Amino acid sequence: MNIFKALTKIPRQIIFLVIALAVAIPLIVPLGLPVKVMPKSKQLFAAIDSLGPQSKPVLISIDFDPQSMPELYPMLLAILRHCFARDIKVILMALWPQAPGLAEMALEQIPKEFNKEYSKDYAFLGYKFGVTAILLGMGENIKSVFPVDYYGTPLDSLKITADIKNYEDISHIVTLSTGDPGWRAWLLFAQSRYNASIGIGVTAVSAADVYPYVETGQVIGLLAGMKGAAEYEILVQRNGYSEEKRTAVQGMDAQSLGHLFIMIFIIIGNIGYFFSRRRSNSGRQK
Amino acid sequence: MNPSPEPWVWIAAFLTLCIFSFLFRDNIFYSFAEHLFVGISAGYLIAITWHNQIYPNLVLPLFMQGNLVYIIPLALGLCYFTRFIPKIGYLVRLPIAFLLGWGSGVGIPALFQRDILKQTQGTLLIREAFSKWDTGLWAIIILIGVLSVLVYFFFSKERKGIMKPAANLGIIFLMLGFGASFGYTVMSRISLLIGRLQFLLGDWLGIIK
Repeated sequence: MNIFKALTKIPRQIIFLVIALAVAIPLIVPLGLPVKVMPKSKQLFAAIDSLGPQSKPVLISIDFDPQSMPELYPMLLAILRHCFARDIKVILMALWPQAPGLAEMALEQIPKEFNKEYSKDYAFLGYKFGVTAILLGMGENIKSVFPVDYYGTPLDSLKITADIKNYEDISHIVTLSTGDPGWRAWLLFAQSRYNASIGIGVTAVSAADVYPYVETGQVIGLLAGMKGAAEYEILVQRNGYSEEKRTAVQGMDAQSLGHLFIMIFIIIGNIGYFFSRRRSNSGRQK
Repeated sequence: MNPSPEPWVWIAAFLTLCIFSFLFRDNIFYSFAEHLFVGISAGYLIAITWHNQIYPNLVLPLFMQGNLVYIIPLALGLCYFTRFIPKIGYLVRLPIAFLLGWGSGVGIPALFQRDILKQTQGTLLIREAFSKWDTGLWAIIILIGVLSVLVYFFFSKERKGIMKPAANLGIIFLMLGFGASFGYTVMSRISLLIGRLQFLLGDWLGIIK
């Protein structure tokens, strides 16, 4: 076998091992590569940053499961920190059945950092099945869809939700979404029908699909994958809102090195393919 | 190195390694973790559907509070099970027809608004787009991209004259779009690996803080 043919047949186990090392080593020995904050992340940050204690609450919809945690959970933590640091009230809900556990995990950690109280500063409505009916129903009356919160307390008894009726009483909705139900449904029903203000955080794999909606102004800002989460963490820290551990930023060196090695493998594979094909073509002509 | 004393962290780490072992080859540890995941997911979904959906939205209002209107959704729901009885199997069409009619009525206007009206509006060259030179340039590129891709998908006319280069330009825009999507997909998969390694090296082994 010639060298070019060998380049196209690198055993996949070796490729996996190299990628694993390229990702693991920068986690143990950080390189400190710079992370540039993109305009679309800044837009979402600015939209939330413009709110204050007297503003209507921000609604965060946790539309992901543990499989998407590396990308979306740091976004949830960073947005919660941002909101609580600015004394913005937060309501959480979930369109995915596995999400309540993630919401509770975040709510056990973040409110303590800012001395925030349940009912007064934040509330968790829980999970409901049937996305279309939920989002349309919330446009008419949130309490008819969620008569009680996740813990069984009537929304009328919670300070934060006592006076809210529908999307008009919410300043921004942020959906952290990994698929369907998620950002598409929020845009379809809450934004298109009720003109709600929507910010989106998605896994990187969905990011390219969201861009057209950001360009048209249907979405107030976009966080794309772990990079988007890292950008939001940087903005939160840069503005002095929190000094806590930044999980997504910690992963950015590994992300860059992982991408670098994948690019190298793509180039190696293409060189091998190009030259081995050229050699076999010239051999045939002789 | 400071390994976690939590048994749940060790179980999670073991299951993660079981799944990763598939990268070498299919094996019994991978099968065990996969079957465990499927079983737990199914059990969890059944329990949460009962507690979050069927009990509060049907059992409670109909059987505890005596709200008889809920007989209608119950009857429609039960129609799905008539598929198991061939004689009255046609009744399954009722809830399907209801869902299709309701879903189309609710979805089509909103979809038109989200994906056609607003997107077309965003493609128009308006004066505000040219308030800065770069936004103006992007607006022109987006317009050219949309038009050339639409020409590429226009099959009612032979690609001759201006149609041919326009369609070829459309292919370039499509390839750029696919490339961006693929790049983001790679980024997403690497992020998942980072998440697991952060768990293994951090939460489990305590090597990273």
